[in-house]
Amino acid sequence: MSEFYKERIYPLLFMFLITVVCIVLTAGAHILTFDRAKANELSFTRRAILDAAGLSYENTTLGIEEVYLASVTEEEGYYTAIVDGKTRYIIPLIGPGLWGTIEIMAGLEEDLTTFSGVAIVSQTETPGLGGRIEEPWFTAQFAGKRGPFTLVEEGTSSRTHEVDGITGASRTSEYFKNLTDRAASEARRIIRGV
Amino acid sequence: MAKSGLLKTFTEPLGKNNPVFVQILGICSTLAVTNKLQNTMVMVLGVTFATALSSWTVSLLRKRIPSRIRMMVETMIIAAYVILVDIILKAYYPEMWKQLGPYVGLIITNCIVMGRVEAFALTNKPLPSLVDGLASGLGYAYVLLIIAAVRELMGSGSLWGYRILGPWWTNWAIMVMPPGGFFILAIAIWVIRETVGKEVSHA
Amino acid sequence: MPSQVTAFAVFFASIFTGNILLTNYLGMCSFLAVSKEMKTSLGLGAAVTFVLTVTTPLNWLVYQYLLIPFNLEYLRFIVFIIVIAAFVQLTEMTLERYSEPLYQSLGIFLPLITVNCAILGASLFMVIREYTFMTSLLFGLGSGIGWLLAIVAMSGIRAKLRTAKIPPALEGPGISLIIAGFMAMAFMGFSGMIAVS
Repeated sequence: MSEFYKERIYPLLFMFLITVVCIVLTAGAHILTFDRAKANELSFTRRAILDAAGLSYENTTLGIEEVYLASVTEEEGYYTAIVDGKTRYIIPLIGPGLWGTIEIMAGLEEDLTTFSGVAIVSQTETPGLGGRIEEPWFTAQFAGKRGPFTLVEEGTSSRTHEVDGITGASRTSEYFKNLTDRAASEARRIIRGV
Repeated sequence: MAKSGLLKTFTEPLGKNNPVFVQILGICSTLAVTNKLQNTMVMVLGVTFATALSSWTVSLLRKRIPSRIRMMVETMIIAAYVILVDIILKAYYPEMWKQLGPYVGLIITNCIVMGRVEAFALTNKPLPSLVDGLASGLGYAYVLLIIAAVRELMGSGSLWGYRILGPWWTNWAIMVMPPGGFFILAIAIWVIRETVGKEVSHA
Repeated sequence: MPSQVTAFAVFFASIFTGNILLTNYLGMCSFLAVSKEMKTSLGLGAAVTFVLTVTTPLNWLVYQYLLIPFNLEYLRFIVFIIVIAAFVQLTEMTLERYSEPLYQSLGIFLPLITVNCAILGASLFMVIREYTFMTSLLFGLGSGIGWLLAIVAMSGIRAKLRTAKIPPALEGPGISLIIAGFMAMAFMGFSGMIAVS
C-alpha cells in the first residue's frame, strides 16, 4: 500500500499540486494586469496614428491620449487629424511581410498622395534584419515623399519617390514598399469612394 | 565559514565557472536580441530573475519532489516564473515586450536556468541556491551586455539608443545582423579565455 | 489576414534566409555540443526535424482550439512545453517498443530535444506570426530541414578542422561560432531567391 502510494499516487498528487499553484499564481498576475495591458495596446495604435499624422506628443499613455483626443477624429475605416489647420488622412494598412503580417498606419496630406508619415503598428520580422523597419530612420524617410516608391541602396535615396532599402533585408523592404504603395489608392477608395 | 562559502558561491559563476565562456550555455534565447543594449538588459534581467527564483523554489521543495517526475516539476516552476516575467513586461514595459517578442518565452529552454536547478539547487539549501542562481544570471548578464555594447556601437554608432559616434562613423551593418552575433561572441570567448580564464579553459 | 503570408515562401525562408539556427540562434547548445561528428549530427538533425514537423502544427491546434476559446493564451509557454515533452516521451516509448534500429539511430537523441530552444521557438513564432495550420506545418518542416542542414554542414567543416592549427583559447566553441557566423552570411546569400510579387 505505502509502496503503491509512494510510486504512483504521490508523484501524481505532487505534480497536480504544483500545476495548480503555478496556474493560480500566473492567472492572478494576468488578471491583475489585464486592464493595463489592454490600455497599452490601445495606446500603441493611437501613437502610430499620431506618428503617421506627424503630430508631436509626450511619450506617455497620458500624453498620447491628450494629443489624440484633441486632434484625431475616427471615421469609418480611417482617421483624420488637423495639423496646422490642414486635414491629414491616416489609413490603416495590413499586408504580408516575409514572416508574418505587417500592420501600419499611413498618413497622407489633403492631396491623398504625399505622405505625412508612416508608423508601424505591428510586425514580426527577424530582429537585426527585417525587424529594422521599426527603426525611426526607416519610417521617417517617407514623410514628404510621394509614391509609388523605388527602393535604392541603404543611404543613397535622393529623389521624392526614392526610399532607402535595408541592407540584408531586401525582401522585407520590398514587402513594406508594396504596402505603402497601396496607401494612396486605398485612401481614395475609402474616403472618396472611387 | 558559512559566510565565505556563500561568497564563493557568488563569485565562482562570475569568473572561473562562468556559464557563458566556460560552459557555453544558454546563448540561444538572448543572442538574438544583442544588437541593442536596452533589449539585452531586459532579457538578461529576466534570465537572472528566472534562474535565481527557480533555483530557490526547487531547493525549497528538493526533499519532496519525486525523482521520477523531477524534470517535469522543474520545467513547470521555471515556466511559471517566465510567464510572470512576460506578464510584467506586457503590462509595464509594453514597448520592450513587443520588441522581444517570442524571446521572453524562450527563457524556459535557456540551458542556464535548468542547468543551475539540476546541478546546484537539487542538492543545496535554499539560500545558497538563490545566491548561485543570482550569480549565474549575473555572470551570464555581463558577458552578453559586453557583446551587445560592441554590436550596438559598431552597428548603429550608438549606446543605449543614444548616438555616441559622430557622422564620420560608417555603421557596420553586419554587426546588427545575425552573423555579427556569432563573430562577437566568438571573439569575446577568445579574449576572455586568453586572459582571465586561461587556467580553466581546459577543464 | 494571416493567409496573406504565403506558406510556400515561409517554407523556403525557414530553410535558408531565415534559418532558425543561423538567424535566431535557436538550438545553439546542442548544435555546439553535438556537431563534432557527421553521424550523430545527422541523427539529431533528423530527430529535430521530425519533432518540429509534428509539434508545431500540434501546438497550433492546441492554441486555436483549447487556449483561445478559454482566454488562456498567457499559459501558452507551459502548455507548449508540456505538449512537446509529452510527444517526445511518447515517440521514445513507441520507438523503443517497435523499432530497435530506429530507436538506436533516432531515439537516443530524443531526450536532448525537449530542451532544444528551436522546438519551443518554432511554436512561439507560429503564434506571434498568426500562421494558418498549413503554414505552421510547412514552417515546422522547413525549420527542421534548415536546422539539419546547418548542423550537418557544421560537422563536415569541423571534421576538416581536426588537423588545423587553431589558437588554444579559440578551440572548440570559439572556432565553431566563427564558422557559424560565416555560414550565416552564406545562407543570407539565398535572399531574393523567391521574388516578392
